Amino acid sequence: MEKLLEVKDLQVSFQTYGGEVQAVRGVSFHLNKGETLAIVGESGSGKSVTSQTIMRLIPTPPGKIKSGQIIFNGEDLAKKTDKEMEAIRGKDIGMIFQDPMTSLNPTMKVGHQIMEVLIKHLKMDKAAAKERAIELLRLVGIPMPEKRVNQYPHEFSGGMRQRAMIAVALASNPKLLIADEPTTALDVTIQAQILELMKDLQKKMGTSIIFITHDLGVVANVADRVAVMYAGKIVEMGTVDEIFYDPRHPYTWGLLASMPSLDSDDKAELAAIPGTPPDLTNPPKGDAFAPRNPYAMKIDFELEPPMFKISDTHYAATWLLHPDAPKVEPPEAVKKRLRQLSSNYPQPVIVKESE
Amino acid sequence: MAEKQKLIEIKNLKQYFPVGHGQVIKAVDGVTFDIYKGETLGLVGESGCGKSTTGRTIIGLYQATDGEVLFNGVSVHAKKSSQELKELKRKMQMIFQDPYASLNPRMTVADIIAEGIDIHGLAKTKEERMKRVYELLETVGLNREHANRYPHEFSGGQRQRIGIARALAVEPEFIIADEPISALDVSIQAQVVNLMKKLQREKGLTYLFIAHDLSMVKYISDRIGVMYFGKMVELAEAEELYRNPIHPYTKALLSAIPLPDPETERVRRRTVYDPSQHNYKEGELLEFREITPGHFVLCSEEEYKKYKAMYS
Repeated sequence: MEKLLEVKDLQVSFQTYGGEVQAVRGVSFHLNKGETLAIVGESGSGKSVTSQTIMRLIPTPPGKIKSGQIIFNGEDLAKKTDKEMEAIRGKDIGMIFQDPMTSLNPTMKVGHQIMEVLIKHLKMDKAAAKERAIELLRLVGIPMPEKRVNQYPHEFSGGMRQRAMIAVALASNPKLLIADEPTTALDVTIQAQILELMKDLQKKMGTSIIFITHDLGVVANVADRVAVMYAGKIVEMGTVDEIFYDPRHPYTWGLLASMPSLDSDDKAELAAIPGTPPDLTNPPKGDAFAPRNPYAMKIDFELEPPMFKISDTHYAATWLLHPDAPKVEPPEAVKKRLRQLSSNYPQPVIVKESE
Repeated sequence: MAEKQKLIEIKNLKQYFPVGHGQVIKAVDGVTFDIYKGETLGLVGESGCGKSTTGRTIIGLYQATDGEVLFNGVSVHAKKSSQELKELKRKMQMIFQDPYASLNPRMTVADIIAEGIDIHGLAKTKEERMKRVYELLETVGLNREHANRYPHEFSGGQRQRIGIARALAVEPEFIIADEPISALDVSIQAQVVNLMKKLQREKGLTYLFIAHDLSMVKYISDRIGVMYFGKMVELAEAEELYRNPIHPYTKALLSAIPLPDPETERVRRRTVYDPSQHNYKEGELLEFREITPGHFVLCSEEEYKKYKAMYS
């Protein structure tokens, strides 16, 4: 499969009065053409910073890319100047944000906001751009697009605004679409419509999607692969089946177990993850999740776990996969999910630094 | 619940808002239900369906346009002496959705929590007041060092705990929680929900839990009401509602929830609700009728017969 994007050892920090916040601490992943990668994690886990760094939307200063590469289409985005990024942003990479009310311009007609992209990046003239804008609004399922194109964002409902934003993001046929919690502010029925729309458009246009969310139901619905982030690092990554049916990291277990299941009438206490995420001005020594991890061993407080490879596509950073680690039982709610996956290696393998 | 005792009775509650030009928005349009002592009633629906307005009208933040809310048999909206009103307000408290906007940023946590204690004169001395604050902080899983800090020093989950401590400070019987976990992370949501359940067990609280996250609502609620366009369309025991939804809107709503299971997601079929599918005749009377014991659906006479034949 062809790689569209490859992020290598990305580190992003913010300089604040309280010290340097290490928001992203060495993240590596890749994205294939036409696939959807979901990034899950709590607020402050670095998932939004990662995606905004790819778009180079991090204000510098206070933000800073400390190291790493973002290879997109064979070019390193981390080294581009602002001017060079202007030609990529909105053209090759589109972005959808969580809150369409604050990300659409309230003083501009919706049609103009779509036309702006077409005129700037695709060099269309005004008349052609308007026609295409109407077409795009129709494509994202907005009724009466001829009328809607001349309306302002406040005349749209929440779901309609999100559709309009998708139209803006897709106007230039981007190769990569970054969706940062695009459905979090929407009702379930509208959410379902937007997700269906995104999948449908992906099929038609072959766009790759990075989908950031904290809703595991949405992940199961849209993702081909999943990366779980905690405290600025990817702690587990795999295909959607591997993450949901064979999770290996205790943090992934915690996330899966803390959701009530709809089809059971089990009223036992939810397995909440105790505590709160660490302060990334002074990331803890060893495994950042250790203080909240009921499975933590002595070594977790001392030494950071390496990445283990469970199959060709499944990675997890936890000492529990080490051959010397004791066998542990995942929480009850997770045990119910487990399946034997045939693609797994007989033994997890440590990934070497150089890879 | 051995004996179901009605704590709140809501009778044909209406809340209209004038929007100018002689038009009104019927945010809540004739809703009738009871809340029993010690239970959690979940209220779900899409934004704009009137679930939050229902909650706010029940507690008296709005004057109801029509209808009645009885708390222990006493009308919430009827004219009362200020003493009676104060007593009533002490027994009903509210937890809000946005823990960032609902705590005064200029007050310390101790003052936020103790405000109700001061107003109702529940502590006689300064020492007693602080003792109550410390107790409350510990009840909600914070510690006493937090008392002198300001809201901005806390995370979302911690702020929601402060909001819960504030509501508990006046020892209420009934708490309206308006989307208390929507703004929180998944792992923190579970913490807050567990806390609310624990407090309910210990203090015998009654909750009205308003939310749009249906899986959490099902988990916390004993009964669930589904609202659509200012009306309650279905009300049943939580388990029953999920297993045997009757109203087409409830079915559509349930079918839209993505489940954390890739296999079911791949084959999931969503049903879409179209209000015109009922084919109601002009002037047909829609009523909230009991299909099976404890399971109510808003339907016409004709539909009632159909549902009755299908489900019982």
